Amino acid sequence: MAQGVIKKEDLYRLLSTAAGKKKVYAPIDGVGGIEFAEIHEQKEITLDYSNSKLSPKSIFFPQREVLCTFADDALEEVQTPKEALIVFGIRPCDALSLTYLDKVFSDSAGRFKDPYYLKRRENAVIISLACKEPRATCFCTSVGGSPSGKEGADILVYELADKLLFESCSDRGQDFMKTASVLFKQAEEDHKTAAKEQAEKAKDGMPVLNLNGLKERVDKVFEDPLWDEITRNCLGCGACTYLCPTCHCFDITDEENRKGEGYRIRTWDSCQYPLFTLHASGHNPRVNKKQRMRQRIMHKYSYTVDNYGDIFCVGCGRCILYCPVNLDIRDMLNTLNKL
Amino acid sequence: MESMEKKIREIAREIFINQKIDFFLGYEEGSVPLKSRPFFIQAKEKTPDGLINRLVWNSFCSNNLAVFLPKFFEHDPRKKPPRIGISVKGCDLRSIVALIKEKQVPRENIVLIGVPCLGMIDKTKVEANFQGLEIIGSEETPEGVLNITTKDGKKHHLKREEFLQEACIECRFPMTEGTDYLIEGKARDPGDGGYARIKAFEDKPPEERWEYFKREISKCIRCNACRQACPTCWCKECFAEQTDLRWIGASIDLSDTMIFHLIRIFHQAGRCVECDACYRACPMGVDLRMFTKKIVQDVDELFSYVPGFSTEDTPPMSTFREEDSDNFISEP
Repeated sequence: MAQGVIKKEDLYRLLSTAAGKKKVYAPIDGVGGIEFAEIHEQKEITLDYSNSKLSPKSIFFPQREVLCTFADDALEEVQTPKEALIVFGIRPCDALSLTYLDKVFSDSAGRFKDPYYLKRRENAVIISLACKEPRATCFCTSVGGSPSGKEGADILVYELADKLLFESCSDRGQDFMKTASVLFKQAEEDHKTAAKEQAEKAKDGMPVLNLNGLKERVDKVFEDPLWDEITRNCLGCGACTYLCPTCHCFDITDEENRKGEGYRIRTWDSCQYPLFTLHASGHNPRVNKKQRMRQRIMHKYSYTVDNYGDIFCVGCGRCILYCPVNLDIRDMLNTLNKL
Repeated sequence: MESMEKKIREIAREIFINQKIDFFLGYEEGSVPLKSRPFFIQAKEKTPDGLINRLVWNSFCSNNLAVFLPKFFEHDPRKKPPRIGISVKGCDLRSIVALIKEKQVPRENIVLIGVPCLGMIDKTKVEANFQGLEIIGSEETPEGVLNITTKDGKKHHLKREEFLQEACIECRFPMTEGTDYLIEGKARDPGDGGYARIKAFEDKPPEERWEYFKREISKCIRCNACRQACPTCWCKECFAEQTDLRWIGASIDLSDTMIFHLIRIFHQAGRCVECDACYRACPMGVDLRMFTKKIVQDVDELFSYVPGFSTEDTPPMSTFREEDSDNFISEP
């Protein structure tokens, strides 16, 4: 494990030096809130944020992706993305979510590897920023994460007053730090102690959600009328799914002009939408919000446990913060678990 | 407001006891600061007192509750349509009136409890005041002071009146009319409708207006929160979800998002009650208020119609009169 310290004001210099030809992504204060974007100078970066509004999944799994172009009968595949990225500032919950998305898009059976997502991931260095002060809506420690979790990150960074302590957690991270080794100062004992204390404090302050036995429970109560009650407030929008770092459903559609030229695109889709399970016959097995929200919860807390061995929720709290009716997933889980 | 809350609970209890309703729809305290949320009470027992005591009335009851009603009255021969008691602000009631006129909600199945509205707090205004510092607690005093606790443990005292939603400041209908029950109390003074800001925007050069439109719409992620939060967006099949043939693309290509918002807002002509539910629901902060208000203003100027409390008059888009304005055809 390599460690090193830099001054906050030298962050861009470090990232760009180590990046070489790679693009540098970092959190910026954008028009719609905190977002990840390609940056070209230090002053664009903000470190003053609890988390980005949209999860960083869109860097690897963009909301709109062209898969191929066509004209008449001729089909042309789009080349898989070549660009390499350094992404700085992803919070540990979101870094963990990337390991879940990896499982989906690489398919453990190895039959359907998604070239677009995987190529971008392959070429990316993830530099995660440990949380100093998790928000009141955060619950990562209840779903296997931690405010200073390392899973999914190549490097974990601690924010210490005017400095940043870098700690590699993968070979790729170690290589990155080697490339820019001249810019790092040695990490002193003080720095390490401060980082450790900060991590402990952040973790201890987190609320605990008891999800023990939840999977077994929800598997048994699929038909319980309680689902009607807990989903009554749901408006049926897709804000929770689109902001969620682990939601990964997509649709594929063709867009063409009158001459028959066009492209096949992949766009995000949501289990909350009426078209999501609409059959060609016109039948829709999930016609109401109860069925749709139940799917969302079952998918995250049961089906992915069966398929990948993980709860696909990292406790980032975005769905709680941005739900227009404050339908709180923690409340729903608590109610279900007490059933 | 505390007395109003008490009164709402009393009436809810009364209409449950008299078996006038199957459901009550109001607000309960939310799980995050500055937010009360919609709250359904179903009559499983004669007086669900525990649930009734969770009903609140405060400055955070922003959600337009009318949005929940049409689903209950979708035609289903196997079910008897429920009777629903609902506490309403001026905007909620105007939406319900629009829904009654559009035959989405039967008036006789609704027990309306009008609440004089003092205006609701704009969460984003309060949050902006603390520049990203997390708010961990909020409460209000009867004197109109908002007590906010921030993450650093500090307490702040804000004047309620300075953090109201624009929709409430501009609101011309803060006092409900024609409800079955009316909670005693004073509503805020009616606003001027806010047309002045539309006029000011209209005076800007086209490029500047285009830039504004582009900037707002480019934030959109097509999550449909605006549409789903809108009480008058009750189409069972939205044009955006027509697949045979497709009307608009599914992506966030700017041309698609623009068309989505334009059509959705145009479809609200003569029906939009300026409650700003679309704006509040948007997780990305897309400000649609300039466009929704423009439609309200156009309908007002062209047809002298503003959706109000009367179930008798006919919305201009549902009828034709010889004297209807037609210069938008002859002199576009």
